Amino acid sequence: MSEATTAYDMAAEVHVTSGQPERRSWHLSRVRALPPGVLIGGGIVSILVIVAIAAPLIAPDDPQAGSLLTRLQGVGTSGHLLGTDGQGRDVLSRLIWGARPSLIAGIVPVAIAGVIGTALGAIAGFGGSRLRTLLMRSLDVLYAFPAILLAIAIGATLGPGLTNVIVSLSVILIPPIARIAESEALRIRSLDFMDAARTSGAGWIRIGLRQVLPNIAPPVIVYCTALVGLAIVYAAGLSFLGLGIVPPQPDWGGTLNDLRNNLFTQPWLSLVPAAAIFIASAAFNILGDGLRELLDVRADRAK
Amino acid sequence: MHRMTRFILRRLLHMVPVLFGVTVVVFVTIKLIPGSPIAGLLGPGSTPATRAELINRLGLNKPIPIQYFDWLRSTLEGNFGTSISFQSSAGTLVFNAFRNTMILAGAALILALVGGFVLGAIGALWPKGMAGRVTSAISTFSLAIPQYSAGLLLIVLFSVDHTWLPSGGMHSVTGSTGFADLLRHLVLPALAAGLAPIGVVARMFRAALLDVMGQEFVQSMRARGLRRTTIIRHAIHNTLPALLTITGLQIGYLLSGVVFIETIFSWPGLGQLVYGAISARDLPLIQAGVLISAVAVVLVNVIVDVAHGFIDPRVRQ
Amino acid sequence: MSTAVAMDERTLGATLTVDDLKVTFANKRQRVEAVRGVTFGIAPGRTLALLGESGSGKSASARAIMHLDNRGVELGGQVRLGDTIVSALSESELQKVRGGLIAMVPQDPTASLDPLRRVGAQIVEVLRVHGIETNRRAARDSAMNLLSRVGIPDPSRVMRAFPHELSGGMRQRAAIAVAVACRPTVLIADEPTTALDVTVQAQVLELFSELQAEVGMSIIMVTHDVGVAREIADYVAVMYAGRLVEIGSVDDVLERPAHPYTAALVDSVPTPETKRGELHVIPGRPPGPGDTPQTGCDFAPRCKFAIASCMTMPPPLVPVGTGHLAACPVVDGLVPAELAGVAV
Repeated sequence: MSEATTAYDMAAEVHVTSGQPERRSWHLSRVRALPPGVLIGGGIVSILVIVAIAAPLIAPDDPQAGSLLTRLQGVGTSGHLLGTDGQGRDVLSRLIWGARPSLIAGIVPVAIAGVIGTALGAIAGFGGSRLRTLLMRSLDVLYAFPAILLAIAIGATLGPGLTNVIVSLSVILIPPIARIAESEALRIRSLDFMDAARTSGAGWIRIGLRQVLPNIAPPVIVYCTALVGLAIVYAAGLSFLGLGIVPPQPDWGGTLNDLRNNLFTQPWLSLVPAAAIFIASAAFNILGDGLRELLDVRADRAK
Repeated sequence: MHRMTRFILRRLLHMVPVLFGVTVVVFVTIKLIPGSPIAGLLGPGSTPATRAELINRLGLNKPIPIQYFDWLRSTLEGNFGTSISFQSSAGTLVFNAFRNTMILAGAALILALVGGFVLGAIGALWPKGMAGRVTSAISTFSLAIPQYSAGLLLIVLFSVDHTWLPSGGMHSVTGSTGFADLLRHLVLPALAAGLAPIGVVARMFRAALLDVMGQEFVQSMRARGLRRTTIIRHAIHNTLPALLTITGLQIGYLLSGVVFIETIFSWPGLGQLVYGAISARDLPLIQAGVLISAVAVVLVNVIVDVAHGFIDPRVRQ
Repeated sequence: MSTAVAMDERTLGATLTVDDLKVTFANKRQRVEAVRGVTFGIAPGRTLALLGESGSGKSASARAIMHLDNRGVELGGQVRLGDTIVSALSESELQKVRGGLIAMVPQDPTASLDPLRRVGAQIVEVLRVHGIETNRRAARDSAMNLLSRVGIPDPSRVMRAFPHELSGGMRQRAAIAVAVACRPTVLIADEPTTALDVTVQAQVLELFSELQAEVGMSIIMVTHDVGVAREIADYVAVMYAGRLVEIGSVDDVLERPAHPYTAALVDSVPTPETKRGELHVIPGRPPGPGDTPQTGCDFAPRCKFAIASCMTMPPPLVPVGTGHLAACPVVDGLVPAELAGVAV
């Protein structure tokens, strides 16, 4: 069968090996000290979230008020630390305010897809083989689409705006999450304690909440954390293409596109929003790596 | 070869339901359009009678499944609808642009595979050296660098202050159509599209080669007195299945990335076409582009699967 | 000093001598001495069984003979093949010895053959690398001959087959064909029958004897199975915790063991005469690779004959008969006859 074909798998750092991946269980007792990834990644993420919340307090300027007299100031101009864009708007303020929609468009779709994907994966993993095949093959269809192009198709149909970005990103993020959840569910299904729980007369809901969820959750959480990094990149990309938040509201991808038009007059300025996207995305990747270490989840289980 | 033929046929059969699903998804996005799809087609002074007539003519009063099969039939006949902004066949536009996209994506894929192969091999064969650490650092950050950022960075570095390499188009404005000219125009966009995949391929290939090198048959080859270079050659042979899987994974990523790369570098491919279609709300064009891309991904993966069968006799079973 | 010389007059012309062989696995955190000074020799055309439990250092010794050192492995001592000091050779000279003069039959034939190449190609490769055959066609013919000589009924089919298409027994025969392709002087077989069905085991052991008679090579058979040693070996060397505890002819060592460990090992194998409930188990467990070595005899903690001096000084390997050495002072001074029949 055509296996996964998109960037999600790269986010999960799927190791392609010729042997069967070794299966290990994880235990909370393995947690000793916080891995550096959790501290560094978590630290940067916290700062970004605080910046986004405190935007009205810390932004030096109105992000939408520009003056044609102060167009395209370079980085380091007094009064405009990160320069101004083609309409004379303060880039730093636009980035600070832009953190709100950019982070929301990264986190919310992952959360939505996380819930739906986990549910679908668990149903596929614990259901009969027919149901599993039907569900997973349907998701394979979504895999066939280059992620951004599918998001564009949905986004262009629904029109621009933050809500529609969230909808289209949620759709493209469901299949990879469901696949992880399914493989975890299949693994748990084969474990002894499941039999024990069933023979002791526990109901399905009870088993699901008490046994299955706590076991599926860690790998899914680790994966989703790294996926937020990718979703931020995708969301900024959709804005870049004009499918994101409606101008003149600021967000990172839109700011990047604005500054791109002045690439030859202020070349380095355009890299400022790119750097913001990079830092946010890398922070979630690092946090994901750290969580993986913390929860002792093996990456190649995803395959 | 009898077994091989059967294997190929089986893979092709697997493809059918996936392609079917792909068309369903594209059809659903068409149906997602908010509001009445005919509102835009009707002039301001339309009467209920002309309205009913149009609905009837477009088949919009038929049940959804019938509408789907009507749409599928016309799509299979090569009719992808009419582009609103170009007022011409969306299929023709998309096919012509796709050729240019394949040049760009192909170049980026070659870069990613060659670069990733070299970096990954260095990392696996000298795991304690700097190279191993550098490759793993590159790939950790590579995914966080979106293609649009990489593209802008390359333009800033190579095209703004010094016009070392062209930053737009496929050919010089002088109308040169030479291969060398095309290559010069290809360098920056291909690099921008291939940068992240280089890191990803390096990391995956490194893991695959380390895995093979640790297997017992490699030790056995040493016991047979084979030279290190020979052993490495056989080990790399054994990583080819993994490399193929990696290649398959990159296709979707590259076809996503070219939308940005082509926009930034004015590359006249599918991505640029789609970008233009977004602002024009030219939905038939977008749908045709997305459908073609998805079909391309499915086809590439079938090719990858078949190649897998040629390399690894165990897969053919 | 070479204890091998003391084995008996036949080892004077030993093909291969191993003197004070040491293997240490080292990483940043710890060093594990897997083989701690092993000395033996083997005469042309003879078979030596290297007998011991897993972790006793027998496999590590076998690999060290071919100088198959990996990262983090330190080798010590001397390996001599005829006039050549193998342990002093450069890597490129070693490549000629490996597979040419000293060849190896691996434990798991499934894992030891390249899964993506046809069996024939792998045999041809060895023949050509060692310059046995330079012509491709001639190499194919001799590969085919080899396959039929190791008892493969349809060599031309197996030539074209991939390893996964063969049965376990056939695969091991193919692996043996690769090993004997260059008519090695010494063949090292690392548990060659462990992965095989019992019925196939006997056939493969028989094959070793036939090939030995034909090629005249010496065989070092690494095994944990007393039965295998008894069936195929001329000499037996018993290893425990990285040291040789007893060595001698198969009759001496297995019928008249002079070391309590050997005696216990022999006794733990059921025979047709063993009565129900009389299967003997050695109490305790052998020291693992990470355990701190004993200051005295490694077996002392499990040995019912241990005396005070056993705990303080490692006993040297001393002659207990003609060509029969054991590392146990207690038993040497005691009544060997009594030991032979005891359950430890």
